[in-house]
Amino acid sequence: MTSGMLILSFVLWVAAALIASLRRWAVLGRALLAAGALSGVIAAIVGLPNPTSTAVLPLRLAGEAVAFRLEPEALWLFGFGLAPALFACALGSPSHYGRSGWSFGAAFSLLGALGVFGLQNGAALLVAWEAMSLGGAIMILSERLDSARGSTVLFMLALLEVGAVGLILAVAILGLGTSSLDFASFVGAAAALRSTTQIGVGLLVLVGFGAKLGLLPFYEWFPGAYGSGSGASGAILSGVVLNAAFFGLSRGLFEWLPPSPEGAFPLLAIIVVVVGTVSAILTILYAFQEDDWRRLLSFSSAENASIAVAALGAAMLFRSYGLRELAGLAWTVSLLHLAGHALAKGSLFLTADGLQRATGSYAITASGAGKYWLFGIGALLGAMSLSAMPPTAGFVSEWFVFQTVFQGFHLPNLAGRLVLALAGAGLALTAAIAFATFVKALGIGVLGRDVNRNAPISRFYSGAVGFLGLAVLLLGVGMPVWLTALDVATARHFGAAVARQMYVGPLLVPLTAKFAFISPSLLIIVMPLLALVPVTLILVSGRYRVRRSPVWYGGLSPDPAGAATTALAFSNAMRTFYSFVYRPTAVTEREADAQGYFVRKLAFEHDVAPIFGPLLFQPAVRSINAIAGKLRLLQSGHLNFYLGLIGLLLVLVLGLTLA
Amino acid sequence: MALWTLFGLSSGKATTTWPAGDDADGQDGLLGMPRYNPQACDEGCRICAEVCPTHAIEAHDDKLSVDYGRCVICQLCTEACPTGAMTPSNDWAFGVRDREDLVWASGGAPTAAPGGTGKRAFFRSLHVRHVDAGSCNGCESELQALNNPFYNLHRLGIFFTPSPRFADLLLVTGPVTRPMFEPLLAAYQAMPEPRWVMAVGTCAVSGGIPGGNYACATGLEGILPVDLYLPGCPPNPAAIIDALLIFLDRAPQRVSGGRVRD
Amino acid sequence: MIGTRIRSVTAETLATEARALRDTGGRMQFAYAWSPNGDDIEVRYVAALPERKDFETWLLRAGNEVPSLAHIWPLLGWYEREMMDLSGIRFAGHPEPHPLVLREGAPSRGNGQDFLKHPPVDGGHHLPIIDAKDIQRLPFGPIRADVVESAEFTFFYVGEHILHYQPRLFFKHRGMETCFNGRLPSDAVVVAERVSGVGTVGHALAFCEAVERAARCDVPVRARALRVLLAELERLYNHLHYLGHLCSTTTLKVGEAQGKLLEERAKQLNARLTGSRFLRSMLAPGGLRRDLAPDKWLGEALEALRKEVIAYVDRLEASESYLDRLITTGPLPKRVAFDQGATGPVERASGLDRDLRRDHPYALYDELPVTVTTLEEGDAYARERVRIAEIEAAFDLCQRVLFRLEPGPIRTDCVAPPLSEGLGWSEGPRGSLFYAVHIGGDGTLARVKIKSPSFSNWRAFPLTVHDSNMMDYAINEASFGLTIAGCDR
Repeated sequence: MTSGMLILSFVLWVAAALIASLRRWAVLGRALLAAGALSGVIAAIVGLPNPTSTAVLPLRLAGEAVAFRLEPEALWLFGFGLAPALFACALGSPSHYGRSGWSFGAAFSLLGALGVFGLQNGAALLVAWEAMSLGGAIMILSERLDSARGSTVLFMLALLEVGAVGLILAVAILGLGTSSLDFASFVGAAAALRSTTQIGVGLLVLVGFGAKLGLLPFYEWFPGAYGSGSGASGAILSGVVLNAAFFGLSRGLFEWLPPSPEGAFPLLAIIVVVVGTVSAILTILYAFQEDDWRRLLSFSSAENASIAVAALGAAMLFRSYGLRELAGLAWTVSLLHLAGHALAKGSLFLTADGLQRATGSYAITASGAGKYWLFGIGALLGAMSLSAMPPTAGFVSEWFVFQTVFQGFHLPNLAGRLVLALAGAGLALTAAIAFATFVKALGIGVLGRDVNRNAPISRFYSGAVGFLGLAVLLLGVGMPVWLTALDVATARHFGAAVARQMYVGPLLVPLTAKFAFISPSLLIIVMPLLALVPVTLILVSGRYRVRRSPVWYGGLSPDPAGAATTALAFSNAMRTFYSFVYRPTAVTEREADAQGYFVRKLAFEHDVAPIFGPLLFQPAVRSINAIAGKLRLLQSGHLNFYLGLIGLLLVLVLGLTLA
Repeated sequence: MALWTLFGLSSGKATTTWPAGDDADGQDGLLGMPRYNPQACDEGCRICAEVCPTHAIEAHDDKLSVDYGRCVICQLCTEACPTGAMTPSNDWAFGVRDREDLVWASGGAPTAAPGGTGKRAFFRSLHVRHVDAGSCNGCESELQALNNPFYNLHRLGIFFTPSPRFADLLLVTGPVTRPMFEPLLAAYQAMPEPRWVMAVGTCAVSGGIPGGNYACATGLEGILPVDLYLPGCPPNPAAIIDALLIFLDRAPQRVSGGRVRD
Repeated sequence: MIGTRIRSVTAETLATEARALRDTGGRMQFAYAWSPNGDDIEVRYVAALPERKDFETWLLRAGNEVPSLAHIWPLLGWYEREMMDLSGIRFAGHPEPHPLVLREGAPSRGNGQDFLKHPPVDGGHHLPIIDAKDIQRLPFGPIRADVVESAEFTFFYVGEHILHYQPRLFFKHRGMETCFNGRLPSDAVVVAERVSGVGTVGHALAFCEAVERAARCDVPVRARALRVLLAELERLYNHLHYLGHLCSTTTLKVGEAQGKLLEERAKQLNARLTGSRFLRSMLAPGGLRRDLAPDKWLGEALEALRKEVIAYVDRLEASESYLDRLITTGPLPKRVAFDQGATGPVERASGLDRDLRRDHPYALYDELPVTVTTLEEGDAYARERVRIAEIEAAFDLCQRVLFRLEPGPIRTDCVAPPLSEGLGWSEGPRGSLFYAVHIGGDGTLARVKIKSPSFSNWRAFPLTVHDSNMMDYAINEASFGLTIAGCDR
């Protein structure tokens, strides 16, 4: 049944891609994409907690057969990633241009993601990986929402290619040992490598998948690329594509590479934890300063992926000291985190699209959309989950992350304990800033007066956002039920069904109830009961006559929208406080008479500076330009020069063959 | 800031205990409304009515009526009076509840001392919102003096609030200029009930010197319902305190029918 | 006009004259318009020339349009707008030809009887175009949070940083200048006293001198000496209030309490001396209305007050947190102060050395040593120090007057002939005050122009607020020490 649904997804997506290439019947193409996503979700629901059966594809790459199998954790991430993709494909891109191109790109991305999740061959994995990246690029380029999309997409592809190079090298090194690119043999090949080579392979894998996940320094393509596309593209990129990249990283670090030998310093695990934590801090700091929905949400995706990576690193750390159950806890936590994130991020990206259709832009300004209650509730639940507010899924996973990290005292050596303690502190900082970020996005973007809105919020968007928001709530509240889906996966990796130990009845516990517990399942019942008290008070006090008078503004009644908090005003204090990270610029230009006394016009520009752009990428670009300038000499255009070079080459070849 | 803390502690109390205690009210030598003694008037003499800049003194037939609500205490009438019918005095405590109590009309008998108006709930604590509707800033200077260490209005339980939303009393100074008309009404609208209005200064009571010209109305008459009138130009802080206490029924009203009862 | 020499200019020569004045180091003071016979309009420009104790007035018979001088003398910008509102003249080439004094559609004539039947409509505030997405706009006022005067301030800001600030005054425009019309000069002094309550003596003194110059009468010595005493007493309580208010904005609570207490002592001293806490009902054209008897008690009271003030100021100078909030706050550059016509302690703190008591003496100031303190920094601390120096000088002047006071007459006859004019001035606590008085055909006042120091300084103040921050705003405004009633009249 599961395999059947997966084959159906594959077929539907290929059909969608073909229809899109004909540049007609855009609605049909989107319907096929959505139907494929739906069947993928059903496959995941039906298939968990067991893996799919292995299928050998009628395809030979580099002389080898290619196998296809979805592990339970792959099914989990795939299913949760497809839920927002379903709605994104059904609603489509809000752009008027390039509808077919967008469907084509979406089909490519989804097929690539399916391949990354399931293909068991190194070369096939790389092909699927490139298809996924290319699909994203095609989606953004065809939407034509931004005239600068060419350079931002190019930047994205450049950094993704750096990652791809890392992946190629990792696959090549691992495949070299056993002369086979099948993943089953990678395990043995890695075990045979020296420990330093293992660490090197691990770093290459980290770089390779990290370029897509947004680990430092690769998060810098996120704002540009996401900011040139639409919310629908973002929902797909931050949902199923991000989950695919994480699955690849988890498989690479956990399955391919063995744990560090007993007594050796767990260098790779520590590096992963540190990179994850620092990336999370930096990306959420930049998210807070954004005043465009897509860019803010893109940085937040990078932050959540980094948190999952940090949890993965903690799992590696526990595993290298033989604490298998804690490792299982940490690993499960990263999966839970990305599941909740996919749903919540999808709901917020579709919120951005809905607002864009109503207001005409993606800027975070007052829209009064809160009066569409389903839309508002969905956006609120999505934002609550990303800010780790109970009783949503984000709260559950964030709590679990902290509980995992607090259990670092079980580690025998100081370095590990210190790293996990600092990671805990860093993650606490990101949680606080994430809270502020989503208060800003929701408070200014969804609530507020509807000064900037020309049109109502479409019912379809309300439905999509509401559904995804409620799904996030349901995920958090019903966690004891959903956790059983990961039993088989944790058993396979860690020898014990750790997922089962994470809940006791309706309570969620970090393996033991003596440490701490939470219970969103009970909370969802108790919270409305607590609300009865203020509701009763309001009803009882209704007997006082209410006289409404205008807002007090000092006597006049100016337009209150002008005095409302703006996105910049909200984040300005942090901009000043963290100015050593942001290095902000603010420029005021005045148009006045010659002496400057009678000002007619004032223009104000403000910006924050990225870190790795000027530090890493621009010097790299400059050095490449410099080298290219030097190599230009080869293109001298003189025939004699070319003949001389050919002669030199022949002499070299002669010399080599004689030697 | 040990410097200032020690200084403050060593300075002791600078606050007067007036009106509850025996200390002085701080208005030593201060001139108030001119006192009118009709017996000393010459027959048909209208010098004071002609010289008064706000037409507070009107002559009807042979009798004079003095509207203290229009008096700006300029002393022109006391200087011009040849017989001493208008004499300078120290009567500055002129807070009244009814506008008619400020008018000295001959033949008009003093009305009975009016009783309280049931503000027991605010007896011990009153919040005041001040609105400057175009005053010359003399009244503002005296109102700001209410919070200096000498008068210390807080000891009487009376506070100035920054917003009309939590004010009980709207205290208005100035003759209500055209641009301040709307904001003044907005401030009154923004106050929750029960709410009262007090007109402080001759400008707010009757328009004062600029009242009725192209830029000003004639005080609060016809604009807001006034619960307490305090003429003066400007009324000194002790007079303002006295008027607030009259409003709260914590002090007796001393003026009725334009006459000061002692 | 006595006290000033009058020259005729024409609309064509106006700009050249203005440039010549600037090049020879003169200073334009103010400008006004009036109509001698109800039809023609005369525009008058009053200027000060270097090294001259009197002033120079240019008289321009205006057609319908007069060229604007705002690009040569930026301070004239507001005077021209006021003339546009109240007299209907057009000034060609004015950089901001928007209503200043009157709201759009409000009458400049007629009476206020229909005020309640036709309630006024508040016109919009003219602001520069702001081309920015994320800026907040705060319209603060006109009813502000404390017991303060009414004015509306518009801030364009982001969090702490103020990008642009524009005050909108003239909510308190009472038309005081028209209240003089038709009154006898000797009685109209009570109107002058009530233009600005805390500037009573300054206004009354300038008005009386204008009338005395029109009447060509000599004020007796005793009256002139007592006028100096009254003017310095007014300066005293105003500056003490200023110090207390400055402490309140820097939240030095005990400093604020002590400053306000010292102001109260000064006001009670005024009441004991004259019967009025604001020194009202004392001045009249020709001298004083009644004699004062400042026996020994005044000298001793002033000396006791002076000792307390010295101790207070020493304590302020030792409060580092207080000084820290004043130093480099709201700096007013010298060029801006000159161009905008800043006056009083504000201009002296920015390096412009000018004091009407010393440069254009009146009352008894030509026989008394006038100490003028000028500083260069132009920040809030400099403005505070200039005022502290003036407090000490005021005590000194009072004691000198008391020392040399001789018995004698205090008033002479002073009747200004019909169709005469006079210019009077005084250096008030906030700066230079001018009264231009025109007597009509029947001996009553036909036109009085009041140039108050706050009108000049309010133009300069916003230029110190642009690109500063919100925390410093209240301190900066308090350090200027301006009134709104004086500006709005």
